[in-house]
Amino acid sequence: MPLIRFQLNPQTKRRLARFRAIRRGYVSFLILAALVILSVVGECLVNSRALLVKYHGHYYFPTYGAIHPGTDFGEDYSYETNYRHLKTRFAAEARGDWVLLPPVPYNAFENDFRPGVYPPTAPSTSERHFLGTDTTGRDILARLFYGFRIALIFSAFYIGFVYLIGIAVGCAMGWFGGSVDLLGQRLVEIWSNIPFLFVVMIVASLVRPDLFLLVAITGLFSWTGMTYYMRTATYKQKARDYVAAAEALGASTPRIIFRHILPNTLSTLVTFIPFTLAGAITSLTALDFLGFGLPPPTPSWGELLQQGTANLNAPWIVLSVFIAMVFVLTLVTFVGEAIREAFDPKKFTTYQ
Amino acid sequence: MTASLRPLSRLFIAGLALLAFTLAGCSKKTAEATRDVTPEVEAYYKAHPDFFTFAKLADLPANLSWQDGHDVPEFASPEAKRGGTLHGAIDDFPRTLRFIGPDANGSFRSYILDDNALTLIQRQPNTGQYYPALAKSWALSADGRTMYFRLNPEARYSDGVPVTANDYLFAFFFFRATYINEPWYNNYYTTNFTNITHYDDYTIGVTWKEAKPDIYDRLGQLYPVPQHFYKELGPDFAQRYQWRLEPTTGPYTVLPEDIHKGSSIDLTHVKNWWAADKPFFRHRYNFDRISLQVIRDPDKAFEAFKRGDLDVFGLTLPRFWYDKLPDTDPLVRDGYVHKAVFYNEVPRPTYGLYINAARPLLDNRDIRAGINYATNWQLVIDQYFRGDYARMQTTADGYALVPFPGIKARPFSVDEALASFAKAGFTKRGPDGILVDDKGHRLSFTVTSGYAALKDVLSILKQEALKAGLEFNIEQLDNTTAWKKVQEKQHDIAFSAFGVSVEMYPRYWETFDSANANKPQTNNITNLADPEIDALIKRYDRATTMDEIRDLATQLEIKIREQAVFVPGFEIPFYRAGFWRWIKWPKDFNVRLSQTAGEQGLEWIDEDAKKETLDARAAGKTFPPSVEVYDQWKRKD
Repeated sequence: MPLIRFQLNPQTKRRLARFRAIRRGYVSFLILAALVILSVVGECLVNSRALLVKYHGHYYFPTYGAIHPGTDFGEDYSYETNYRHLKTRFAAEARGDWVLLPPVPYNAFENDFRPGVYPPTAPSTSERHFLGTDTTGRDILARLFYGFRIALIFSAFYIGFVYLIGIAVGCAMGWFGGSVDLLGQRLVEIWSNIPFLFVVMIVASLVRPDLFLLVAITGLFSWTGMTYYMRTATYKQKARDYVAAAEALGASTPRIIFRHILPNTLSTLVTFIPFTLAGAITSLTALDFLGFGLPPPTPSWGELLQQGTANLNAPWIVLSVFIAMVFVLTLVTFVGEAIREAFDPKKFTTYQ
Repeated sequence: MTASLRPLSRLFIAGLALLAFTLAGCSKKTAEATRDVTPEVEAYYKAHPDFFTFAKLADLPANLSWQDGHDVPEFASPEAKRGGTLHGAIDDFPRTLRFIGPDANGSFRSYILDDNALTLIQRQPNTGQYYPALAKSWALSADGRTMYFRLNPEARYSDGVPVTANDYLFAFFFFRATYINEPWYNNYYTTNFTNITHYDDYTIGVTWKEAKPDIYDRLGQLYPVPQHFYKELGPDFAQRYQWRLEPTTGPYTVLPEDIHKGSSIDLTHVKNWWAADKPFFRHRYNFDRISLQVIRDPDKAFEAFKRGDLDVFGLTLPRFWYDKLPDTDPLVRDGYVHKAVFYNEVPRPTYGLYINAARPLLDNRDIRAGINYATNWQLVIDQYFRGDYARMQTTADGYALVPFPGIKARPFSVDEALASFAKAGFTKRGPDGILVDDKGHRLSFTVTSGYAALKDVLSILKQEALKAGLEFNIEQLDNTTAWKKVQEKQHDIAFSAFGVSVEMYPRYWETFDSANANKPQTNNITNLADPEIDALIKRYDRATTMDEIRDLATQLEIKIREQAVFVPGFEIPFYRAGFWRWIKWPKDFNVRLSQTAGEQGLEWIDEDAKKETLDARAAGKTFPPSVEVYDQWKRKD
């Protein structure tokens, strides 16, 4: 018998249908999904590398893979080709060579300095800096875009990590009960009282944090909330007849937990995911804002926010990141509310 | 010695303080309210007869040539008016009013000690000559190690007690005492001085361990320490004197009623200050009061300045000078607020990349030279600092008497960098454009930095270095942690700077001698260990004439440049200030050796102009704008 059957049970089907019926949440979900897909193929949209170059009758696809040194295209330098210059050069030479640049022809790291102009520069469609540049001349749209992608990756690992610990500990407390529960609860209480931000600050000031270290630190101090829900959910399911039946049939403890209890608590978990996602994005942003997040020059919303608030005379910085943040967090919240509503047990049972 | 050292020594001191606190707690309080350290001081003098000598005036060497600075020009403006209150801001409330001991090395100390208290003789900040302060006249012994001072009998502390020779002897007891929790002071005053002689109440002689060209600074800038005030000196010094301000010989003191912890602190002009009408001190320190409020955020402080709550504001950062207070700002355009740029000439903090030559790959001189060529400081200066700052050229820029006109830092050049890396075997670029050698090493190094405010600088350098096939990984740490890592020599490359005080000539032993290489907790953070350089430093430290020092310093700079362990960064050749129209300055604005506009007390407040300005502002009347550049001391090159 396959472990995962691609046949949804009728209750889940009903829930999904209901989710789809909540227009606001469903549309938000579609937009969010589109954003995620866009960010996966981000290199084709926001990048200093060209999508396609035709040079001396050959076609080049520089987007992915190794760099093309300037010498590949007849430039006099051995470092990576500057495709924007190449485009103007080809246009001037008019020899049938051409360069196809992505819609935003900048990456998130390069400093676009122009003589006599000091960054930050205001949004400009002619330079293709659609949201302007930051204090070191980097394209804000590119940084927002890749910052979003990093936040998503961070959130994915964070959610996985937090749920893994939260579910394991919560389930264990609920299933075994008694002294395990009593002791576990006290430990969780103590653990959740450690000021998480301070620990992150201390660690971040001592070592150069990378994505996984940050996930680990933030995750280590965020799983406690999940245990409470899992504990009660497990308690509730454990008392049900089907668990007793499974036990009577001689099912092992892991089997009961993984095959019977966990699937039945899934609806509780699913409703939390969007809010955990919002939490992950905000905490990463907050850490970056305070300078304890990912090392520079990693693109991040927090770093942009910090630049923006320090340079209110360049309002495009703070406005860009503020609007982007509000937009994404609103979408996530709408999705979250819709899921919560769709999974609300009150819709399917009646309490007397 | 250095600004960068401060966090570390503070940490150490905090540790000591904690220890002292615990010990004090253990021993329980004995009734020490009536403690008197005098017998201990006298016993100490007796126990060190070679150091503390009591002689008679007749013992003073004959044929000394006494100087009194009568031919030194004064530098304050005779137009200055006494009176008024200057409103200023500090970014944090001082943690103590002590000059010494735990937490005393904060920025507030300059208000009550460094820019306030008088030393024996002081340097004329334009000419570099010396003028009399607490000493009336002074003389140097024939062997160039001892200086004799005749104290000015009129000199008084702010509590009215005269300054006498005893206070200088006591200074040595005080600075050597373990009570003050200051190992650096303990060591400095023990190892460098060899004798202090008391000839009479107003005549002393002090001896340094060897003859030095800057002996006037080393001996002439001693502070007296008022023994009567530190009568209760003991193990509880730190707590006992935490909020008691030492009586000062200088113009300003803090009255107990003006200490509002956490919010504001005022300095008051000493009543009948003894030096008020003396040459070199007249027309200076003109405000009756300096009122300092705590504003923790510089942007907030700037808003307070624009509102007129603060009289003067430092505008050195391009962000303030160009963006927040441009010349087109109504306040500047209408002439209410004036702006000034003043080019000073002081030793510059040594911002740059320090390459750890003890690390693999970095122990190769060609790679270090390549890193020098691959570091585009000029772009940072031109674009990020808007061309305001200048490229640092050597390891010791800004010493007026020790210039290095022929020595230039390596310019950014991809070709030179590639050629240099090629010599070390790095000829191929990997798929990411970073150079690799045959053994599979990547040309990738970590740059450790504690300067959060300068992280953009490193990200620009990183981008530019990629062109030369070099990768910098930026490691941005907390300031104290970064400095600790660097002091433990655990870094590849450090972005750091040594703060330097105004001295006559640079120091090399601390930073480039092999005696300090490959050892934790020393300032040789490049781990440079070169016998030729060591030999030069040995000669340099024994040099007795300026010509010799200049010559050896030049040789040292050439050698250090050859070794390419330091990538000179940038220097700020000026300071900039904005001030309301009623604050007036001398016609040259300030003095050559000033690091900030206010440190010599040259400015004054014109109350009539203040009334006129406020009235005009209310009536909508304007004045001609004033944005002045004072470049009389600007480096010409």
